[in-house]
Amino acid sequence: MPDSPLRVLIVDDEPLARAVVREFLGAHPGVEVVAECGNGFDAVKAVSELSPDLMFLDVQMPKLSGFEVLELLGRDVPVIFTTAYDQYALRAFEVHAVDYLLKPFSEERFAEALSRARERLQSRDAQPIDALVSEVRSGQAPLERVLIRDGPQVHVLPVDRIDYVEAQDDYVAFKSEGKQYLKDQTLGAAEALLDPARFVRIHRSYLLNIERIARVELYAKDSRVAILRDGTRLPVSRAGYARLAKLL
Amino acid sequence: MHPIPARGRGLALYLGGWALIGTLLAALLGGSGGLSWLQSLAVALPLSLTYAFFCLSAWYVSRSMPLAATGVVRIVTTGVTAAVLSSGAWLALARGWMALVGRRAGFDTAGAFASVSTLIFGFGLLLYLLSLAVSYLLGSFEQSRETERRGLQVQVLAREAELRSLRAQIDPHFLFNSLHSISALTTSDPPAARRMCLLLADFLRDTLALGTADRITVGRELALAGRFLEIERVRFGSRLQVEVASDNADGCLVPPLLLQPIVENAVTHGVAHMLAGGTIRIAASRGAALLTIVVENPCDAERPRRTGTGLGLANVRARLRALHGDDARLSAEERDGVWRVQVSLPMDDSGAGIRDPGFGIRESGLGIAIKNQRQETSD
Repeated sequence: MPDSPLRVLIVDDEPLARAVVREFLGAHPGVEVVAECGNGFDAVKAVSELSPDLMFLDVQMPKLSGFEVLELLGRDVPVIFTTAYDQYALRAFEVHAVDYLLKPFSEERFAEALSRARERLQSRDAQPIDALVSEVRSGQAPLERVLIRDGPQVHVLPVDRIDYVEAQDDYVAFKSEGKQYLKDQTLGAAEALLDPARFVRIHRSYLLNIERIARVELYAKDSRVAILRDGTRLPVSRAGYARLAKLL
Repeated sequence: MHPIPARGRGLALYLGGWALIGTLLAALLGGSGGLSWLQSLAVALPLSLTYAFFCLSAWYVSRSMPLAATGVVRIVTTGVTAAVLSSGAWLALARGWMALVGRRAGFDTAGAFASVSTLIFGFGLLLYLLSLAVSYLLGSFEQSRETERRGLQVQVLAREAELRSLRAQIDPHFLFNSLHSISALTTSDPPAARRMCLLLADFLRDTLALGTADRITVGRELALAGRFLEIERVRFGSRLQVEVASDNADGCLVPPLLLQPIVENAVTHGVAHMLAGGTIRIAASRGAALLTIVVENPCDAERPRRTGTGLGLANVRARLRALHGDDARLSAEERDGVWRVQVSLPMDDSGAGIRDPGFGIRESGLGIAIKNQRQETSD
């Protein structure tokens, strides 16, 4: 392990900011820069394809923020955040970032962050990140868009385009305009993240965007079915109907 | 301080008035004392001019008993007592003076005095009471003026404080990011690092100098925004394009740094979120009564609008409202992936003649071109 180089990914939308990281890394032997990315999409792709040991990650980037990249990767890539904004420090700490470098940073401070990362890699005691990101999310404003990672690809799904969410084994399927997107999440977690005024749990396995409902019909005794505008029929449990009735 | 002698012209007018009173007194003395016109004038004029100074004391009497805080009985008693005392003193003075004048002019002093003493005493009493009334009148006038002045002062201070708090401020993160760029350039391209330092210094200096002015010309405001974007271009490279156009509006006046929050938003919430970047367009144009400035930037339609955008605009809006009330407007809307902010404010082109050599868009050498189209209007 000590013989193999530390494989590093640099993610920042500013070329000059990437250059600083690259230059500072040059002073440390046994470090290899495997790729540089200018946005979050590329970062997710690069992590999938190259599985780097360490990622330097800017927070404010086009399309996906650094935190969103981390949420999508959903596994332990040690991250060192680099940003000019100090207000994300607490959140970075909560998602177990190795370190948080405030731009502009010195070479000494950078070296400190790097050695911290090496320690982390050696002990390998980092916690899985996906659960933590959800924890950090709760208590914040409801999601405006859902990020779904499909291998190296990233789908950004604005919540108003979601028709409903369905539990499928270990995944949830976000259904939107005839397509479905699978995410490694529980339906309960999805429910907690989405706006409770717009999405209602109508069934153990279904979370429905109430704007999509055309009508609700009695199907059998004590059992109802929701008919969506596109004709889709979803079962509604008794408790689900009570929740729905309260909202409508 | 007594308001009459406090003003030079006040004292002259006051004494002039008393000279008239002295003439009146002389006429009365001539009628009842059997003195000649000249003799009674010689007696009355100096006496009344002296009494003028006696009566100034009425002001202090009035100040010691403010109308609002003193009972009527006390005011009347004190006023009458003061009048009796002054008039009595004046009478004693008149007696001595008449004796002096009588000896020189050779008339019967004692007889003359006896026949006019009641008149002088009554006259003095009346004049003193009149002075007291005038003093109260003057006092309340001064007081109301003072209240008005203080009210105005409070208004001015409040407005200044409001404007100060609304005054556009440079986002410190812009500085941190720029310094980080300089840090990168110091090793890779030292001359570029130096140019960036100079750009930043120029921008900050202009911001400090112009930020405290009440109004600056549109030309300067555009140059300031252009310089800010020039620095941002060092960070964003080819992702950020800038076009600045002024349609004959350079000489109009605007509050300084009015565009700064709008342009900052155009970068941080607009172009910065575009993978391929985009162009920020700033266009100023003068109409018949309104000056209109439009800032456009591409925006990511899929990205939810951040609350931070609203704060900068709300600040600009509040500032315009404080300065122009309902005459200025700010509108912001997204259409077809373009975020467009439009500011209209009453036209003030009194700055048309102002020129400041050395201030303008300079060639930075960083390969940044800012197109400045100055068109001649046809009307």
